[in-house]
Amino acid sequence: MQTYHKILTCLMVLLLFSCKSVLDLKPTDKILAKDLFGDPEGVKLYMANLYYQLPMEDFAFFRAGFNQNHQDPNNGGFAPAMVTDEAVHSEFGDFVGDGDFHWWDQGYKLIRDVNLLIDAIPTLDIIETERKKLTGESAFIKAFAYFALAKRYGGVPLIKATQQYTGDVEALKVPRSTEKATWDYVMELCDQAIANLEPGDGKSRRATKYTAAALKSRAALHAASVAKFWNRAPMSGTAVTDKLVGMTAADAAGYYTACIQASELIMQSGVFALYGATPASPEEAAENYRMLFQNPNGGDKETILIKGFTLPGNFTGHNYDIWYQPAQSANGWPHPGRMNPTLDLVDTYERYDRPGLASPVVTTTEGDVTDYGGYNPSLHYLQFDSPNDIFKGRDARLWGTAILPGTGWKGTPIIIQAGYVQPNGQAVIRTKAETTINGTTYYTYGAANTSQYSGFDSYGGNNTRTGFSFKKFMNQNAPVMAGWNQSTTDFIEFRYAEVLLNYAEAVVESGTGNAAEAAKALNDIRRRAAHTTAIPLTAAAVQRERRVELAFENKRFWDLIRRREFHTEFNNRLLHSILPLQDLRALPAVKYIFVRVVVPNSNPKTFAERSYYRYIPGIAGNGLVQNPQY
Amino acid sequence: MKRTAYILSMLLIAFTACKKDNYDGPTATLYGNIYDAGTKTLLEQDIIRGSVVEIKEHGWENVQPQWLIFKVDGAYENSLLFENSYSVAPVRGNFIPVEPQDVRIAGRTQLDFSVTPYIRIVNPSITRNGNIVTATFSLQQQVTNNVRKIGLYAHSDFRVGEPLRLTAAEQEINAVTDPAHVYTLTIDLQAPNIRDILKPGKTYYFRIGALIDATESKPNYAKAVAFDL
Repeated sequence: MQTYHKILTCLMVLLLFSCKSVLDLKPTDKILAKDLFGDPEGVKLYMANLYYQLPMEDFAFFRAGFNQNHQDPNNGGFAPAMVTDEAVHSEFGDFVGDGDFHWWDQGYKLIRDVNLLIDAIPTLDIIETERKKLTGESAFIKAFAYFALAKRYGGVPLIKATQQYTGDVEALKVPRSTEKATWDYVMELCDQAIANLEPGDGKSRRATKYTAAALKSRAALHAASVAKFWNRAPMSGTAVTDKLVGMTAADAAGYYTACIQASELIMQSGVFALYGATPASPEEAAENYRMLFQNPNGGDKETILIKGFTLPGNFTGHNYDIWYQPAQSANGWPHPGRMNPTLDLVDTYERYDRPGLASPVVTTTEGDVTDYGGYNPSLHYLQFDSPNDIFKGRDARLWGTAILPGTGWKGTPIIIQAGYVQPNGQAVIRTKAETTINGTTYYTYGAANTSQYSGFDSYGGNNTRTGFSFKKFMNQNAPVMAGWNQSTTDFIEFRYAEVLLNYAEAVVESGTGNAAEAAKALNDIRRRAAHTTAIPLTAAAVQRERRVELAFENKRFWDLIRRREFHTEFNNRLLHSILPLQDLRALPAVKYIFVRVVVPNSNPKTFAERSYYRYIPGIAGNGLVQNPQY
Repeated sequence: MKRTAYILSMLLIAFTACKKDNYDGPTATLYGNIYDAGTKTLLEQDIIRGSVVEIKEHGWENVQPQWLIFKVDGAYENSLLFENSYSVAPVRGNFIPVEPQDVRIAGRTQLDFSVTPYIRIVNPSITRNGNIVTATFSLQQQVTNNVRKIGLYAHSDFRVGEPLRLTAAEQEINAVTDPAHVYTLTIDLQAPNIRDILKPGKTYYFRIGALIDATESKPNYAKAVAFDL
């Protein structure tokens, strides 16, 4: 035993001195920076990874962040639109939480990754045009990243070049820049990208001069709005006195001008145009609008940058079709029907006979559209021949965005009915019931069992509770694949219509620029939706147009933020539904009436003003100044 | 039997292995009231999204502030604080902002605040006549800012206010108000959107509020009045 111990000890001592570089082995499953960047193909690969990390608010963007499309991304289908007035979830009543929509660690990871590439660009063995393109693309990616940080956190630490760790952690800590300096840096990076990139036609999925201009147009408008509207919800605290959040009204003009110029670069290029710009009828307009989102690659000249969801599967597919399909076309998926567009949104769409005027859906001869008190037998409800006749004559984009009661989807009429009014005038609403009159049976939900209707039954949370189901972005051609990450509809990150709307807003809000051109931009978009009467350019008209044209493209949330309208729009806010009821008093004629109500089982929502900025994560470690009220 | 004894003895070891915590819990209490410096009366507050007492514990870098809430009558108390010195100030309130003060909090420490409210609600009266609840009052502004809005708020909870309401009659003002003007707000209990919310046979509280147009301001209130509908 003693001998054995001695031998062991000797061996151990020997091992200590045996070899010097046993730990310096090169890993065989990793590639060194100089090898990666030394090969143009390696750079391409690296670039693909950077694009993948871009914070694009697409079909895989949810409260928990970006790229929520791998393994089991089960978030109940709670889309970002559901914290705005665009939609409610069929079950959840959640609102903006402090932990939602963050992008901090990932943001600085992307910035480090792109800085490493920028370091390598001068050393690459490539032709000059290629080098210029890489320079432009890296500036675009960095601009995109800082824009995403600035709109969430205000002024942030600007890591303009790669940091080197030399043993001193404190040296790596960079304090926050002011919000203005951060936005100016975003502008500067956009300009670098515009200067270095070649023009393109929007077909490539990499950045071009015009993609960079579209980013600048969007970012400049955000910055200008924060500056102009800061006083709608001013804040206090160290972050404010240090100007880390907030800007003054005087700063707005410069950003509006930047937005106008960037938008003009795209508008005057002659490369882009609205898809289906002059439809012959509202029906054609509705179908064009739907097709643009079902297959952006057929979007002709409207798309400026598309993000592809190429293949079903982890990281490449998404889940819009399973979550948001009406219950009747769920095809075996257990939890469809989660996206319920609100009556508040539907009210926003113009009517063709009332151009430019607010036209909430009128349901009674009394005409009180603010009455949400429920069915009232003493009122005179307007009777309609079908459950969607009440929406006839309303903007084509409504028909392309939402599945309206009784309209067809995948060859099936989608039945959305909340109840009926019995011949004695008593209404039966949102309870499963049936009644037989003269040998015919009528059902409250419009059909006998749960697989035959899509509205108002609380069964499984699979039915709409607003009266509307979701259509935009949904693939009508293919049946739902009842599994995770199976949808492959591509997402349009930048499209021409948004640029036109940015331009119109910047002109009307700043009072500068070409007002005639801005009015034309607004009316061109309306013309594409089959409106033939032009309306004057006003701030309110532009905002209404944004709401309906860009609905569900995850723009509304940021519009409410940047214009500081969230806390006034959402102060004890209840959202609304429309209840289609069959009126059995009219038998044998088939007639429907509609009741405007508060969304069933919903609570008021109030936006906390601190939520205009997200909290800065980890201030105990990174030493940064926290945002107000966190 | 042997097996059970074994499990029991292992459990005994597991639970005696380490002490639960090395540190004492918080022992100190900070409490007090917020007064209107002019009238020497308590300044009415909101229970949610209202004015708060911000305290920052000394001795830490980049410290996370803590916020203590007020009760609706203007009293506050927090009995789970660590004994230390703090910077304390009521902030984001319905009064002209005040400077923070350094306070040693130990045992039961009382700290009252005396502030100037943005608006005093004068001669408030809430009456009910049949289905109509009527509030009348005048406003005395203590600052030259605009008054943003006034309101009559109703809730089944006595802590009713602008943030905590079932229904409200609000009026946008957006102007400097005349102290001689008498404002009238009414809630019709039979109105279509209200009759299902304020139900007969229950008690509801009504409260008059007025909001100044200032940074992070909160509404000023008169005392709530209860009616059995």
